[in-house]
Amino acid sequence: MTLSSCGWTLADVRTTVQTASDVLYIYTWAGYTDRDLLNKFQQETGIRVIADVFSSNEEMLAKLQAGAGGAYSIIYPSDYMVIKMKELGLLTELDRDRLVGLDQLFPQFESPSYDTDNRYSLPVSWGTTGLIFNKEQLKPAPEDWNYLWDNQGQIYKRATLLNDAREVMGATLRMLGYSYNSTNPKEIQEAYEWLAELKPAISAFTSDAWRSQIVTGDLKIAMGYSFDANEVMEESPDLQYVLPKSGSSLWTDTLVIPSTAPNLEAAYAWMNFMLDPEIAASLCKRLGFAISSQAGFELLPPEIKDNPTLFPSEVALEKSQGLIPIPEVADLYDRYWTRLTSA
Amino acid sequence: MRDTARDSQPKNTIVTPLEEEIPTDMSNSKARFPLSWQAIFTGALFLFMYLPILVLMFYSFNQSAYSAGWEGFTLEWYRRLFADDRIGKALFNSVKVAGLAVAVSAVLGTLMAVGLSRYEFRGKKLYQGISYLPLIIPDIAISVATLVFLAAVGISLSIWTIVAAHIVFCLAYIALAVSTRLADLDSNLEEAALDLGATPVEAFLKVLLPQLMPGIASGCLIAFVLSMDDLLISSFTAGAGATTLPMEIFSRIRTGVKPDVNALSVILIGASGILAFVAENLRYRSEQQ
Amino acid sequence: MSVSTKHQPPSNNFGPQGDSGNPRFGSRWLGPLALLGPAGVWLIFLLVLPTLVIFEISLVPNIKPGGIVNPSGLDNYFLAFQGVYIMVVLRSLFLAIGSTLLCLLLGFPVAYWLAILAPQRWRNLMLMSFILPLWTSSLLRSYAWITILRPTGVLNSVLGFVGLPGLELLNRPPAVLIGMTYSFLPYMVLILYSSLEKLDRQLLEASADLGATPPETFWKVTVPQALPGIAAGSLLVFITSLGDFVDPELLGGASSGTAARLIYDRFLGQTQNWGFGAALSMLLIMAVSIAIALLLKYGDRDAQP
Repeated sequence: MTLSSCGWTLADVRTTVQTASDVLYIYTWAGYTDRDLLNKFQQETGIRVIADVFSSNEEMLAKLQAGAGGAYSIIYPSDYMVIKMKELGLLTELDRDRLVGLDQLFPQFESPSYDTDNRYSLPVSWGTTGLIFNKEQLKPAPEDWNYLWDNQGQIYKRATLLNDAREVMGATLRMLGYSYNSTNPKEIQEAYEWLAELKPAISAFTSDAWRSQIVTGDLKIAMGYSFDANEVMEESPDLQYVLPKSGSSLWTDTLVIPSTAPNLEAAYAWMNFMLDPEIAASLCKRLGFAISSQAGFELLPPEIKDNPTLFPSEVALEKSQGLIPIPEVADLYDRYWTRLTSA
Repeated sequence: MRDTARDSQPKNTIVTPLEEEIPTDMSNSKARFPLSWQAIFTGALFLFMYLPILVLMFYSFNQSAYSAGWEGFTLEWYRRLFADDRIGKALFNSVKVAGLAVAVSAVLGTLMAVGLSRYEFRGKKLYQGISYLPLIIPDIAISVATLVFLAAVGISLSIWTIVAAHIVFCLAYIALAVSTRLADLDSNLEEAALDLGATPVEAFLKVLLPQLMPGIASGCLIAFVLSMDDLLISSFTAGAGATTLPMEIFSRIRTGVKPDVNALSVILIGASGILAFVAENLRYRSEQQ
Repeated sequence: MSVSTKHQPPSNNFGPQGDSGNPRFGSRWLGPLALLGPAGVWLIFLLVLPTLVIFEISLVPNIKPGGIVNPSGLDNYFLAFQGVYIMVVLRSLFLAIGSTLLCLLLGFPVAYWLAILAPQRWRNLMLMSFILPLWTSSLLRSYAWITILRPTGVLNSVLGFVGLPGLELLNRPPAVLIGMTYSFLPYMVLILYSSLEKLDRQLLEASADLGATPPETFWKVTVPQALPGIAAGSLLVFITSLGDFVDPELLGGASSGTAARLIYDRFLGQTQNWGFGAALSMLLIMAVSIAIALLLKYGDRDAQP
């Protein structure tokens, strides 16, 4: 029994669960797969895909560590989570010889900062964090994060922020002129104080529930990911996405193979399937997320290529940075975040 | 005091005034007018109870996905719903979990209830207390405890861990229903069977069990409905490919921008309404016997 | 472990004295073991041990998955009564007590009408149809309230139509109260109904004959008799809403953090801290147990005046 009084390890990562060789379990965000995609994959490879969804990187990691991960051969963590999972020894190093089309990625994804040379992960989708607003209700249009503070009266209880400590604290830090990945306790405290002042005007901290509410007009402005913004903008012509001027976070969602993956063959087949430019382009068109494949991008119609929400210009991206894990101040972020969201 | 006074009344004197009271209730409604606001109030609360359901129904047929007003009739959301195989898969998982959990709990819970009524032993109070604990502990606490325990002993999460966790609370509801039934039963029947030479197992299966059936059935029904409706325990104990219907609905409520959830609600409400009607009918008939 | 005593042959208080303990059950322990063993084992493994494990984890400050469990003290428990967490605890209590009172206030007249005033042949059917919504998905019922309460939703459309100003309810505590009251009202009505149904009507009539006004009869005769039902119903609503996760999560927004949401977040959410989450769970279990203990104590007093 593990219940001895002195020191046992809580939630070690589990061993592999046996799954049938023609079934692939993947663990992904809602919105990255649809039935057409899974059917097409099954037609091409004979492998049936079962996709489970998670709603945050942290939820995914917690479920994995609690023993829910043994059956998955493909997981979709974001950039900073790739680093964390790598450090925890949860990832399999990719065998580049088994991947076709790595050279067709955008140059910036050939060796991303979170994973040099894509040794453990394959970028599949990317985007920015910004503000989605109703342009009929908010005039002049917001341009930067400080809009939220300057117009608290106007957006009172009609605004949401992401339910993500790093993103929300990071955006505030950026507005104050600091790094998204600040480790300076003074800067972090300052950001918290600004957020505490904004808090009464915030209707909810949510990463997804804002979408239907902003379409119906119940929200005037929401902090969200470009991928989701693009989706809601299709539902309502009044909505617009802005990449804040002072900069925001640049995120990448990736494909990884967990170290416990029971079905490596199928995992590589899935990766190659996603690398296929045709598939990537069709996903961008159908599900509306920015793809990492340059070859796929070239196949897109001009109106999608020029969509600034999905594919912002180099200039717009200049001030944006990716999130990196900052374990030395993780507790501090947690503390301030809890104070902010529970008060 | 009060109780003894009531109990000492001959039975017919209790029944007759009751029956006479009904017509006076209705014909004398003027005399009782001060109280009839309760009828109006009850009516208003009926509306309150059904308002959300009516609203979901209304929007499931509304053409516009977002407007609060009526924009025309459509079956589009139902079409989309049926084109979506995730819902079907989740429903299948939920029925599987609830079915298995209830089947196991029906056996364990019945045995437990009979055992508790039949034997006296040291620690019985403790056993009883623990077995009914799931009725009162909040779901979130049970979920967390189960997750941590499974993680601690290194059991991989799967659909079976959901079943195992659901059995804990299904057990309690079924045992409760069975003991209520047991309390009304005539224990002499089983003893008579034993005296006539039946083995204890025969006596249990042929005499006691049929008498317990209504209790077992109503317990199973409650347990099934609760298991089908459970979000938290399933979320914490689900493994790969084991998304249950409430988990899928929760994810859709949060992420979905399309009102196909409304259509799903209407279908589920219809189905459970029919189930409830059938169940009540069965209960009513068994009470009549 | 004390629970396992049930597996041992109960020394002598079982057998002839046992309710209907039958000597023909072969050896004395076979019967109890066969009947109580399977469920007992299940409960030990999936209820007792897990609770002990979270108690152990709750003694480890700031533990996350992968950490070493080495119990060191009650720090996590003290933390729950500090700063922002005390607000969360108080808010949970406020919402639970508020929805209990609302359920009682709304539920009593309904139960009274159904049990006493309604035409008898319709009583059962009407009670059934009142609690029918319980049979549907609790998630979807709470979700429906979003549609009703959102700023441009059903409620405000209706209010606007009749010329009244709109109400701001969604993503605030009132929405959570409405959601909880809606979710748990049927339980309250059900319990009050079964208690009022047993009311001694002769006492009511006697009271009226002796010249008591209806309010006097109500407060001095009806309510005291219904008190056990009121207590049981209130307790049920209180403990269910104290542990409710769905209503605060869907309807509460940024300013309705409750204990259940806090616990959820410690395990599957943004700020993971299994030790603190476990301590909060233990506190929740204790709060509920105290409520039950109070009911048993005062409930007994009511039963034997």
